[in-house]
Amino acid sequence: MTDKTRDSTTDGSVPAENEITQPLGLPKWVSALLPIVLLGLVLGVFAFTSPLAGVQSGEPLPDVTVTHTTLPSDETVVLHVTNNGPESVTISQVLVDEAYWDFRVEGAGGDRTLAPMESAQVVIPYHWNPGWDLEVALVLSEGATFHNTIVAPSQSPGFSLGLLGTLAVIGLFVGVIPVALGMLWFPYIKTMSDRWLHAVLLFAAGVLGFLAFDAGFEAFELAERVPGAYEGNLLVVFGIFGALLLVQAISAWREGRVAAGDNRASSGLWIAYLVAVGIGLHNLAEGLAIGSSFALGRVSLGAFLVIGFMLHNVTEGPAVVAPVARGKRPSLKHFTALGIIAGAPVILGGWIGSLAYSPTIGAFFLAIGVGAILQVNWEIAGMVRDAGGRVASATNLLAFLLGLAVMYVTDLFVVL
Amino acid sequence: MPSIDYGSAADVTERLEQRLVESLTDEASVSRRTVLGSLGIAGSAAVGLGSTQVSASSDHEDEEEHGNFGAVGEYQDLDFDPHEFLTAFNTGDSGQDNVPQQVYEENGRTVREFEFTAVDTTITIAPGVEFQAWAFNGQVPGPTIRAVEGDLIRVKFTNLGRHAHTIHPHLKNLNPRMDGIPQNGPGVLDTGESFTYEWIAQPAGTHFYHCHSLPLKEHIHRGLYGTIIVDPDPERVRDNPREYVNYPGPITDDFREQLVGEAKSRNHEYAENHAVNEMVMVMNSFDTNFDGGNEVYAANTRAFGYGVGSTDGNGNWTAGETKRPIQIDKNERQRVYLSNATEFDLINSFHTHSQFFDYYDHGTTLTPTNKTVDTIMQCQAQRGIIEIDYSDHEPGLYMFHAHQSEFAELGWMSFFEVV
Repeated sequence: MTDKTRDSTTDGSVPAENEITQPLGLPKWVSALLPIVLLGLVLGVFAFTSPLAGVQSGEPLPDVTVTHTTLPSDETVVLHVTNNGPESVTISQVLVDEAYWDFRVEGAGGDRTLAPMESAQVVIPYHWNPGWDLEVALVLSEGATFHNTIVAPSQSPGFSLGLLGTLAVIGLFVGVIPVALGMLWFPYIKTMSDRWLHAVLLFAAGVLGFLAFDAGFEAFELAERVPGAYEGNLLVVFGIFGALLLVQAISAWREGRVAAGDNRASSGLWIAYLVAVGIGLHNLAEGLAIGSSFALGRVSLGAFLVIGFMLHNVTEGPAVVAPVARGKRPSLKHFTALGIIAGAPVILGGWIGSLAYSPTIGAFFLAIGVGAILQVNWEIAGMVRDAGGRVASATNLLAFLLGLAVMYVTDLFVVL
Repeated sequence: MPSIDYGSAADVTERLEQRLVESLTDEASVSRRTVLGSLGIAGSAAVGLGSTQVSASSDHEDEEEHGNFGAVGEYQDLDFDPHEFLTAFNTGDSGQDNVPQQVYEENGRTVREFEFTAVDTTITIAPGVEFQAWAFNGQVPGPTIRAVEGDLIRVKFTNLGRHAHTIHPHLKNLNPRMDGIPQNGPGVLDTGESFTYEWIAQPAGTHFYHCHSLPLKEHIHRGLYGTIIVDPDPERVRDNPREYVNYPGPITDDFREQLVGEAKSRNHEYAENHAVNEMVMVMNSFDTNFDGGNEVYAANTRAFGYGVGSTDGNGNWTAGETKRPIQIDKNERQRVYLSNATEFDLINSFHTHSQFFDYYDHGTTLTPTNKTVDTIMQCQAQRGIIEIDYSDHEPGLYMFHAHQSEFAELGWMSFFEVV
């Protein structure tokens, strides 16, 4: 290892010299483009001569995913399918509960053949019964079958203003109101000593940490239903890192501004907004879950569930306002904005989830939420440190643990 | 018998106390467990649960150590009584209250007219286990129709269910419009639609009817099936004996009279028929979790409906309240009209303990197709007549069940109590 490190250090000095003297006296842009041009050439030769044609062994396996199903009427079943395999597949027959059944394929260019990565709807006229599971199988031209069970079917709501209104009311109750109520702790938080304020901040970090795990597990779970061609798990990883690095980049840019003497950028308000955005993204995912439950006809939003959501989300209020406890109290409009950014996405998520549900969208939004939350925790740690506190003091660690514990307990009330 | 519920809890407690007192006076060595068990049932009856775990023996504890198989609890839903169903024949002039019917002459032919409705309902298939059923006249199996060979069976059918239904008879039917399939005649009948099916009752035998809408598996196993019994006409048997036997040899006068006698014993309009105890059993099963396999099997819908309440395996048994044996008179000939409506499984079977019987496949012959057997099997829609004679048996419990052990342990396990 040490040898290699030494080698690379030696190599590292070579390009430094080349920067100055280009070989053959070519301009710099030519040496930048040359590898790309050569790669294009090699690809071209490979594609036209196919030197590895004899290497292939057997046919690639067909792979079709049923991402989700909708039931627009009690006489119709719609399967949303995607071809994940490297070759075209033809859906020749459909079995419903082990009986051949009438069907048509929509959105595949008029035939029943799906090109790789192509999605389509299989529409089956079938008088299903609410609550009675349906086992549907797609029979491909070469005889392979792909099964999907519709558990306890119930009619999909479809688009209506009434539904949007209902989801808005639900979002108001489970998102906006609890966050706003939680923010009412602000005057009390303001009177706290530094030590306790930091504890509250770490409590908030614990809350967010729990949400990150919660959303992360859910994202990976959902990723299993993402068509294989879209690499659900990697999409989640990309979402998490993407959001984390993007928000961190903005944060680093802000720090640059602070160093340059911009007062506005140094206030706790900035972190409060970041926390609000992180929580907002999490609540967006929560809304997606509620909305998609509607879309899939799997809703039992009883009073108990709404109460669970409210208890769960009320802890997010102090997390938002704790960063602004020191210094000048921000104006009321900032508080309103913080509340809306943190809470209102539940409504938006509900709408998206109910209208344009797909596991891919769901997993991606959840992943973004996780990334944003992780960045916020990074930020909170920095805030405590900047204020001269010790992040890992006993009080703070216990406060973090308490945050996790409170979320765990209140999460038990939320079973969607 | 009443079921155990809030109302009868006091009643049950009283009877158990009485039994307890008797057992204490009869047996000096009553086990503590018996006492506790009895008090336990009184307690559970008081909260409406019901239980039949009464140990009638104090010297045999295997049952409690190994546990006793069978469904726990009693049936609370008394809308359907499997014991009544056994002998509920609808002939046009007599039958069940929920089957409007009449009999009249038309063009020199006897017409037996029935009003059938298909409804969506909930039935109880095991104690505390409900099943969303599609049912003819609200019951599963559907009403048993009984006619005499050559009669016209007229069924005025109205579909009140939310799915489309038909009635398809397993009879010799000369008019395709009356076959009750989606492709012929009126096709499927949507919600609210009506149609009058007319079928000639032929051939003599025990037959099957069912809904033929698609998907067929769903429409059958949800409960849309029943039995049509066509009694042989003794005069026709006398004129055409060969149609009722699978036998190529000469027909002597004695043999002819024997066949006529057998036909009379099968025909509900003849006195000879009253000497026979006739029972209808439809072997059926229910998929409660939509996995394409059955969770409950039974003869006539209710798991262990004809099962003994509790036994220690030593002859000490206690009849249950809603789960109890079929009591039969040992001096009567027993006849079972058996058919198989089981969905998802290839075959079902009927096995008698300690006894052999004669089996008439489809019931279309007057001489047995299988003589002296103790097990027969039927595929779906197959049916036949079983004739059993317990006259030389000692009184007691005689088991009968499917000899697929799985089916038996999932409910298709029954007893005759011979007295």
